Amino acid sequence: MTRLVLALMVVCVIGAVILAGTDRITQGPIAEQKRREIVRSLDSVLPPHSNAPDQDTRVIRPEGGKEMTLYLARRDGAWVGTAMVVTAPDGYSGNIDVMVGIDRAGAIAGVAILAHAETPGLGDKIITDPRWLPALRGRTLDNTHWAVKKDGGDVDQFTGATITPRAVTGAVRRALEICREYCG
Amino acid sequence: MAGELALIAVSAMLVNNFVLARFLGVCPFLGVSRKTESALGMGAAVMFVMTVASLVTWLIQRLVLVPFHLEYLQTITYILVIAALVQLVEMVVQKTSPVLYQALGIFLPLITTNCAILGVAILVQQKAYGFLETLTFAMAASAGFGLALVLLAGIRESLELAFVPKAFQGNAIVLVAAGMLSLAFMGFSGLVRG
Amino acid sequence: MQPETTTPPRPAHMGDVAVLPPGALPEARPATSARELAADFTRGIWRENAVFKQMLGLCPSLAVTTSAVNGMAMGLATLVVVAMSNASVSAVRNLIPGSVRIPAFVVIIATFVTVVDLTMNAFAHELHKTLGLFIPLIVVNCIVLGRADAFACKRPLPRAVCDGLGAGTGFTLALVVLGSVRELVGFGTVFGVSVFGAAYPPFLLFILPPGAFIVMGLMLAGVNRLQSRMGG
Repeated sequence: MTRLVLALMVVCVIGAVILAGTDRITQGPIAEQKRREIVRSLDSVLPPHSNAPDQDTRVIRPEGGKEMTLYLARRDGAWVGTAMVVTAPDGYSGNIDVMVGIDRAGAIAGVAILAHAETPGLGDKIITDPRWLPALRGRTLDNTHWAVKKDGGDVDQFTGATITPRAVTGAVRRALEICREYCG
Repeated sequence: MAGELALIAVSAMLVNNFVLARFLGVCPFLGVSRKTESALGMGAAVMFVMTVASLVTWLIQRLVLVPFHLEYLQTITYILVIAALVQLVEMVVQKTSPVLYQALGIFLPLITTNCAILGVAILVQQKAYGFLETLTFAMAASAGFGLALVLLAGIRESLELAFVPKAFQGNAIVLVAAGMLSLAFMGFSGLVRG
Repeated sequence: MQPETTTPPRPAHMGDVAVLPPGALPEARPATSARELAADFTRGIWRENAVFKQMLGLCPSLAVTTSAVNGMAMGLATLVVVAMSNASVSAVRNLIPGSVRIPAFVVIIATFVTVVDLTMNAFAHELHKTLGLFIPLIVVNCIVLGRADAFACKRPLPRAVCDGLGAGTGFTLALVVLGSVRELVGFGTVFGVSVFGAAYPPFLLFILPPGAFIVMGLMLAGVNRLQSRMGG
């Protein structure tokens, strides 16, 4: 009996030691990869900036919502835009995480999809189509009716896939509304 | 809150059904679906173990792994917890309810290597669910697993009476039938509206 | 978790006994010959292919084979785990008492899975994100524990490693084939290279979950047919 427990204990301890070592080695690179991922998305949605927006953040708490982080872009010290991550809860097969960059004038500077589970080839056209996301640039709360055309708005949908564009459009509008209140 | 929980439940059970859309637990899905009766037994056993296992691993994550910065031991801890839990459940059921043991007993050892159980435990952490959300998610996911299992068993019982080309006999026709079932379940996507 | 197959529960072990001379115990055999090692390696590739012949490891086989690249990555990750765990299990086979061998093997396997998981997360981040949940789930892949318990714990180290490499290669090949077929019919490409030209209309069914089941079923029927033609 003692031998059984001892043998198992030894195996567990050796395993734990190996893992602790691996964790030590990989911790840095994993953190770096995650940071680079955020930075890459931030760079793609924010206007040209000279600071590191992932380090220049502000946490806000919109009414009736969860805490969220605002990433601030500055150029030579002057604020040029804000980015935030909003979640569209009404995608075709689950949540869609969208990063929205908004410039000083309250217009969209860029939009990136961070995570989604939409149907490949249909719903994910919002990412694979090279025109859809860029077409949102320059739109503001005032110059655009934020709904897909099928619902009487200004934003294009895709044939056979309305739900995903509708969900993303709603999320981007929410980001603009939050920004109007908290940015600047 | 209640609405959120209902959303989680419908999504885990139907839209993102564990077997038919996420491919978790395919082995028991094909292995124990010959008879409706055994499918029901397996479904119940999985439901029980999955719910308990996900709650226990959730607690361990919050109380041990995260406070001591041992997140890298997640996989190893979870699988040991699940294995121990299955043993424990087997012993308790055997002692307390011979009837239940007769119904579930033979399925319990098979559950340790059911990847749906470990899958739920890890998914819950990835989604950063709270306690109630975890409970709902695990119960709905296992109910969805049971549903798929019973449906496939029904199809297979009918298939026994049908003509099947020689090359398709055995698992091949079962996989094709599972594909049709999965296709039917795709009709549930778009069901969840925010 | 043995699915209902036409083969007996532990075909791997039985097949192996056949290559030994009558009366010889596996443990008692002296040095291992190169031919034996080659046989250990090739056995897992076709004759006892985990996916097509034994129906093991189906969850990852169906889930990640939306493209040939994903299938190959998942296969290679599993190959590394099964080779390393086979090696370790064989190395400690005389130190672990029989009654606790399964939990001990599980701990060994889980250790290597986490090593692979962390390493991929650090150095192949995008791939790690795509395969996601199915990397930690290698722990419960029956192929890995099956090879450890049916083969590695009774054999010397070189043979265990060759067996692990063979089983892993067979698994990888199966996943690459499944992934290639689904990618080819679904998107008209293989490994991202266009085969049918840009005008090919995507056939989404094959990329979506139902396609995985159906392609697997059709391929299994193909394997059955091939086998009956070749006479087993």
